[in-house]
Amino acid sequence: MTLHPAVLALLVASLLIGGMVLYAGGYGAKILLRWDIGSGSERQLELERRTYLISTLLSVAFALQILSLFLFVFTADRLHGMFSGAMCAAGTLNVNGFGYPVLVLKIVTFLLAGLWLVVNHADTRGYDYPLIKPKYALLLLLGPLVLVEGYLQYRYFAGLHPEVITSCCGSLFGQGQKGIAGDLAALPAGPMEGAFFGGMAATMACGIRFRRTGRGGYLFSIASSATFAVALASMLSFICLYIYELPTHHCPFCILQKEYGYVGYILYVALFGGGVAGMGVGVLMPFRRRGSMARVVPALQRRLTGGTLVLYLLFTLIVAYRILFSPFRLAAG
Amino acid sequence: MNRSVERHRNVLDFALSSLLRRKGKNVSLWVVYTLIVSLIAAIVFYTHALKREAALILQGAPDIVVQKMVAGRHDLVPVGYVEKIAAIRGVRSVRPRLWGYYYDAATGANYTLMASDDPLPGPGAADIGSGVARTLHLTEGDFLPIRATDGTPTLFQVRKVLPYASELASSDLILLSEGDLRALFDFPRGFATDLAVTVGNPAERPTIAAKIAGQFPDSRPILNSEILRTYDSIFDWRGGMMVVMLGVAVLAFVIFAWDKATGLSAEERREIGILKSVGWETGDVLLLKFWEGAAISLAAFLCGTILAYIQVFFLSASLFEPALKGWSVLYPRFKLVPDVDPYQLAVLFFLTVVPYTVATIIPSWRAATVDPDAAMRS
Amino acid sequence: MIALHDVTKSFHSGKANPFTAIRNISLTIAPARLTVLKGPSGSGKTTLLTLIGCMARPTSGRIVLSGNGISGFPGGEEIRELDITSLPERFLAGIRRATFGFIFQHFNLLRGITVLENVMLPAYPTGERHGEIRKRAEELLALFDVARHANSRVDLLSGGETQRVAIARALINRPSVIVADEPTAHLDTDLSREFMEIVGSFKSDGKTVLIASHDPLVCESPRVDTVVEMRDGRILRSGSVP
Repeated sequence: MTLHPAVLALLVASLLIGGMVLYAGGYGAKILLRWDIGSGSERQLELERRTYLISTLLSVAFALQILSLFLFVFTADRLHGMFSGAMCAAGTLNVNGFGYPVLVLKIVTFLLAGLWLVVNHADTRGYDYPLIKPKYALLLLLGPLVLVEGYLQYRYFAGLHPEVITSCCGSLFGQGQKGIAGDLAALPAGPMEGAFFGGMAATMACGIRFRRTGRGGYLFSIASSATFAVALASMLSFICLYIYELPTHHCPFCILQKEYGYVGYILYVALFGGGVAGMGVGVLMPFRRRGSMARVVPALQRRLTGGTLVLYLLFTLIVAYRILFSPFRLAAG
Repeated sequence: MNRSVERHRNVLDFALSSLLRRKGKNVSLWVVYTLIVSLIAAIVFYTHALKREAALILQGAPDIVVQKMVAGRHDLVPVGYVEKIAAIRGVRSVRPRLWGYYYDAATGANYTLMASDDPLPGPGAADIGSGVARTLHLTEGDFLPIRATDGTPTLFQVRKVLPYASELASSDLILLSEGDLRALFDFPRGFATDLAVTVGNPAERPTIAAKIAGQFPDSRPILNSEILRTYDSIFDWRGGMMVVMLGVAVLAFVIFAWDKATGLSAEERREIGILKSVGWETGDVLLLKFWEGAAISLAAFLCGTILAYIQVFFLSASLFEPALKGWSVLYPRFKLVPDVDPYQLAVLFFLTVVPYTVATIIPSWRAATVDPDAAMRS
Repeated sequence: MIALHDVTKSFHSGKANPFTAIRNISLTIAPARLTVLKGPSGSGKTTLLTLIGCMARPTSGRIVLSGNGISGFPGGEEIRELDITSLPERFLAGIRRATFGFIFQHFNLLRGITVLENVMLPAYPTGERHGEIRKRAEELLALFDVARHANSRVDLLSGGETQRVAIARALINRPSVIVADEPTAHLDTDLSREFMEIVGSFKSDGKTVLIASHDPLVCESPRVDTVVEMRDGRILRSGSVP
């Protein structure tokens, strides 16, 4: 295993996160079983005190999980020099069978962790802890995922031996390649551009309507989530092409490198941030009118919607700028 | 939103004054914290800088080096290979290199002797690296004795000492003319130590290396990138080992921090009790503890990184040099180029601030969940 | 108005030393009046104060606040009546901050900070601007004639000055109810009389005042409207003073 300090940092982080999640999960189960807001018994008071601890632990754990996604990708990018044939993070992740699963799991836990933080924020603002059960139910889903991801990450790093030859992103993401990566790259650029800009426009429209009138929350959430998926596919299909100014370079990781001004980070932060916020709006919809949430959730949803709109706009502007001002021109079709 | 910002500002204000009120405890915590950060930062910075230096040096190295292997060991390569390799498509040039090692019993040091590119230094003259000059106390014009394979010492006059700037690559180097080198080592004509191959397109290097290996099964083509990768691995591995060893120190620090956070003095308990009684709720006290921790972390992180920066880039990290550079009699003396990027700082953050923060969560919560009526009852 | 319905508060139940501080107490605290809780130590006065003052939750029973809006509670302006029995600590604290001002037996000022900061402290978590809190604090200090000590350490003040600083602190969040626990226990006669005068000014401002004390200077003061006598966690007698 490579003992690069960043790898150690990621392993330490996943140990800490795992520990916090386990501890919180244990008390979470207790809360789900014994919670009774109406009781004034000492046990209930103690449980209420504990929720502060669990909230704090999980907030820190999930914030760390979110940061570690970026650190992971950055590290995979930095380590590419150690593997012959690897030109960027794509190659590093392909070194053994655990690389891409870890990345996918990290993205999934990122999204779920973001959602949990949104629900937690809403719950703490309600005077009757209305979301406490859904919150800990979500934790029961998210907890094991985080632990599995931590284990897989360990297996991935343990299996990194610098001499291994791996394929470079060129052959992984080339258009003729079989497999999902190749398929996505092969998606024709023209229709994808249409889908991308159309999706963004639809999301903006739904978002503005929701903010103004409070109607169409579900519609907005679905639109923003769909656009999130389309935007990710678009990254592979045509966005990266404009950044690299090459018709065949579809790799989504190379844009994280210095030579492209680290623009990849801005794009991904904007996209993922906006995506989580949009999903958060949808997750909160069922609770919009429930008791104390009636005061809290609409305002929170407006803020989240605003966040999505701003971040998606930033993403779209950067993409549009690249398309308009790049000397590279993609032939139609 | 505004209220939230103001609340943070007010609580931060009180947090800072709280820290200053308990100078003894907080200063000792800050000192230990800074020390830990600076130790780990020094390793991270130093490893990164070394890797960078290695990469820079290797930029000047040939793309592929072809050696001949006999029974698994490095042997002299026939110069006749040059034409055939030059004929491979994509190869820009092939140059035979003549060099070897020379062990000087008097100093116990190994020097590298190499036939020089340009026609000078000329017969009887040598260009030497600064490490050689230092070890043998030589300057331009002095005479350098070298024993030939038959034991006869030959004197070479030092024409030039190679500049300090190339120290890392040339420290132990002695450049001679080809004729002198062949005579010294009794090099058979028609053979060289290895071949330096330049390839036009970097992407084609592995393919060409494979072709060379295919054409000459007794050869070993070594890619520049493989050398770089090996150095990276070594530096990473060594750096990582040191970090792992320091892991014990970090653990000790975390326990120390936990202890400080848990061991509230009676005065601190009283204060928190009063805060809860006059209207601060648990979340507010947790925020207070968070800001206290953040302030100390920020102060320690800043001071630690600056300390490490000075140590590595101005004082050449004398503490870690041996472990990180390896063992040798002849060390190149060099100053590392300062190069710190946000990535290294992020790694540092994960290795120091994160464990500290996690360790203080439970003690902070314990302190914050004092009952509001505590002040009534005391 | 604060109403308690059949409230009980026990501690350490299920452990080695269970102990009930208050049993089945029903009580109404009238607004803009001075109510005194009278009784020996151990009678449950202090516990009752903490329950009324939103510092603790009852083990059983109900506590209801009513009036022209509840301050410190989201949406409280439109609420006429609020059952606070099961409110989570965050909201209870919010109501407590905005509605109640506390004066403690030992004054309980923070030693390491200035008088001014002490007075400002309860307002920090409300998110009000630092400058505005400061202005209000300075006005309160001036009102109680201790403005000249604004930047002094608390230890340097006399007993009377400390008392007035504690009162100023209790008023920083413009509460409508003042709660005092044995306020005259460490004061001489003159200072105790001074305290009762200040209490009188609270009443004229329309504030509700609740004092737990067994000091005759307090209990038999002409300003008192209602006396509640307690013993062993129960109310013996409760009646208005004519």
